[in-house]
Amino acid sequence: MAELLQTESRRCLYFFLYDGSKVKGEGDATREGICYFYPEETPLDRQELLCGQLAGVSRCVSELSFSPVRVLRLRRNKFAICMKDDFLWALGCSADVPTVSICQLLDQLIDLFCFYNGSVRQSYQLHSSEALAARWARYLSYLQSGSSQLHHVFSCVRTIDSTNVDPLLLLKAALILQACQRCPLVSAGCILFRGRVVSTQMFPELTMKVMVHESETYTKALRPGAPTTSSPFGGTVSSTTVFLTPAELQYLRSAPVDRDFSSHPAPHRGTPTRTRLSRTLSDMPSSESDRSDPGSFSPHLSDSSVFSPGPSQAAADPPQFSNGKQEADEEEAALDESHYLSFTNGDGSALEERLNGDGDAAGGTTFEQPHVDNEEADRGGAPPLPLPPPPPPHSDPDDTPLIPMTLYLHRVKGLVLALLAEPHFLSNSAAMEEVYHSSLASLNGLEAHLRTVSPGVPGPPGPYMFAHFDCVQSTMTTNLSGGAGGAAERPFVRATSLLHSHFCNTETLQEAIIRSAAAAVYGTRSPAQETFFQQSGSLRNSGIPNHQDSAFTLPGKARHRLLKHGVNLL
Amino acid sequence: MTTKTSLLKVILLGDGGVGKSSLMNRYVTNKFDAHLFHTIGVEFLNKELEVDGHQVTLQIWDTAGQERFRSLRTPFYRGSDCCLLTFSVDDSQSFINLGNWKKEFIYYADVKEPEKFPFVVLGNKLDVTERQVSTEEAQQWCQENGDYPYYETSAKDATNVAVAFEEAVRRVLALDERTDHLIPTDTVKLHRKPRSATTCCS
Repeated sequence: MAELLQTESRRCLYFFLYDGSKVKGEGDATREGICYFYPEETPLDRQELLCGQLAGVSRCVSELSFSPVRVLRLRRNKFAICMKDDFLWALGCSADVPTVSICQLLDQLIDLFCFYNGSVRQSYQLHSSEALAARWARYLSYLQSGSSQLHHVFSCVRTIDSTNVDPLLLLKAALILQACQRCPLVSAGCILFRGRVVSTQMFPELTMKVMVHESETYTKALRPGAPTTSSPFGGTVSSTTVFLTPAELQYLRSAPVDRDFSSHPAPHRGTPTRTRLSRTLSDMPSSESDRSDPGSFSPHLSDSSVFSPGPSQAAADPPQFSNGKQEADEEEAALDESHYLSFTNGDGSALEERLNGDGDAAGGTTFEQPHVDNEEADRGGAPPLPLPPPPPPHSDPDDTPLIPMTLYLHRVKGLVLALLAEPHFLSNSAAMEEVYHSSLASLNGLEAHLRTVSPGVPGPPGPYMFAHFDCVQSTMTTNLSGGAGGAAERPFVRATSLLHSHFCNTETLQEAIIRSAAAAVYGTRSPAQETFFQQSGSLRNSGIPNHQDSAFTLPGKARHRLLKHGVNLL
Repeated sequence: MTTKTSLLKVILLGDGGVGKSSLMNRYVTNKFDAHLFHTIGVEFLNKELEVDGHQVTLQIWDTAGQERFRSLRTPFYRGSDCCLLTFSVDDSQSFINLGNWKKEFIYYADVKEPEKFPFVVLGNKLDVTERQVSTEEAQQWCQENGDYPYYETSAKDATNVAVAFEEAVRRVLALDERTDHLIPTDTVKLHRKPRSATTCCS
């Protein structure tokens, strides 16, 4: 362990997935359980050593403490741990990476895998471990690539630099997305330009997952299995199957626009109101607010255009299972949307997911029922059949079945329109053509506009550095150069990540100043944001607490200076 | 010449709401949506067609008519091969503004010889019964401003839409042919009258 690599450029030093079910008996080799190990060139005996030890420790500690292990801290390194069923994931990095960041990274990685492949257990039954290893490697490299260290600390979504972009263009992007939702099969979408978000209707975690596929389509050939990708749209349209948790889907559909058009497609089909583009403004149903918390979903444009939402309560609560009750509600609500299950992917993968997820509770009858649904779907347009009984509520969210959806991608040079749609969107050529043609001209135009936006010229390093993290949208505003970071920026980044850790660990902490002999960084946070500020230049510091100490003028300076960056700390 | 596919950029200009987007959509996708939102900035679609044996890809740029979008649209005037000045026959103000649109285009497109540049004038919304601009008025304006061809169109019921765009292509091709025959030096200046107006509604 002493020779662990300390490469600054890599966040992740070690990552592995270990399947404990393969190593039960005394004679079973540890290597049998190693599904994937990064770095891949690590000698097998060292892989075994690390996997065996960490799996053993994790299991021991969690059994002793009746609590799952989340982090194992060593002297120079720490490992984020995730244990689900017999699987164990561990992601190791240098000890000065904030714990919250590395845990987020591991969760992102696992979520990404499940988003594109479905359940882990089933993926390893269906595909070779070599093929899946390539996917782990790809997701890992994506999550580590690109953005600055600061972005990694906060796990932010990469957005375009909106200071150089006319806000009308952001509106244009939001309108394109809304126009696509006129098709009842389309749940939500986002628009990306050169790998950065222009506008999104999805919550940040989902946007991030979608962006991975976008980055892949640069190189990846079109999927031969997708039936409609070839003909009328040329090579600009592609699609892939993705898997959402019921909570994610429920969250997508909780936006008013989705409740209106997607959740109840049958009675709305062909109604003239759908031809209205600005329907989120004008066609809002007021009667359908049957949610327990209707206040969260006020019928404003901003609700479906997440790029500029107000600090709504809905967005502040990430779609997670907080307790069994809520989970049961969400699951039931999600299952109300009968067409989820009516249209499986043609190979029954959805219901196998179900089987896999539900374990014994599901049984053979649930297998029969969706199978019939599937045939109905193939005949086309048949109304959804009655549902199989919903699975009993789980206390463990990992057991919830994943629901297949289609991720549709339309690329215009550097610009990509990504839409999450019902699985049968692909077989509905009329719907696909409508979406394609209604957005093509606008996408062409938006691409032309964005291409001509001059990239923000990074000015000379100003008299201060700041980083502003929007927790609701998971976006970052900063005046740092964004690259690897010059020597002058490194202390600021370190201090910021330290303060961020403190904010995460201490819920009541709102403001803090962290200082060395040479510099002081001020941090402040609210439920919606975290802001960090450092004044450049020499610090007047007597060594003992002193009211003339220039560090104490930082909060005022931050408030004053950051106003022009649109950051309001008042 | 006949085998070569050339890309022609035509641009639709005119007041907001006269039907520029609808004209483009009708021509390229043969669809009409009565509830289109304001265009923000610019949009464009390509259409391949053959005119008089010439294979061309027509790139139709649709622009925002509202004044507040001016700074977004004007950078895209450059490089246009033809400009379609559009008004609505049921809106006299949109007709009065044609001159301003022409000026704005010539200025931002940096047209070197405005008197030779091919403009085509479209009076849209022919399907509407309450006209505010008569055919004669419109033809007269075209006559006085440079002998531009004038078409009365309806994007809603597809009247004359294809004809108008094809005329735009012919205009550009005719101009190209003339310049093709020029000796490639700048010393020869040909003064030639633009083609006589072809109207279809008189």
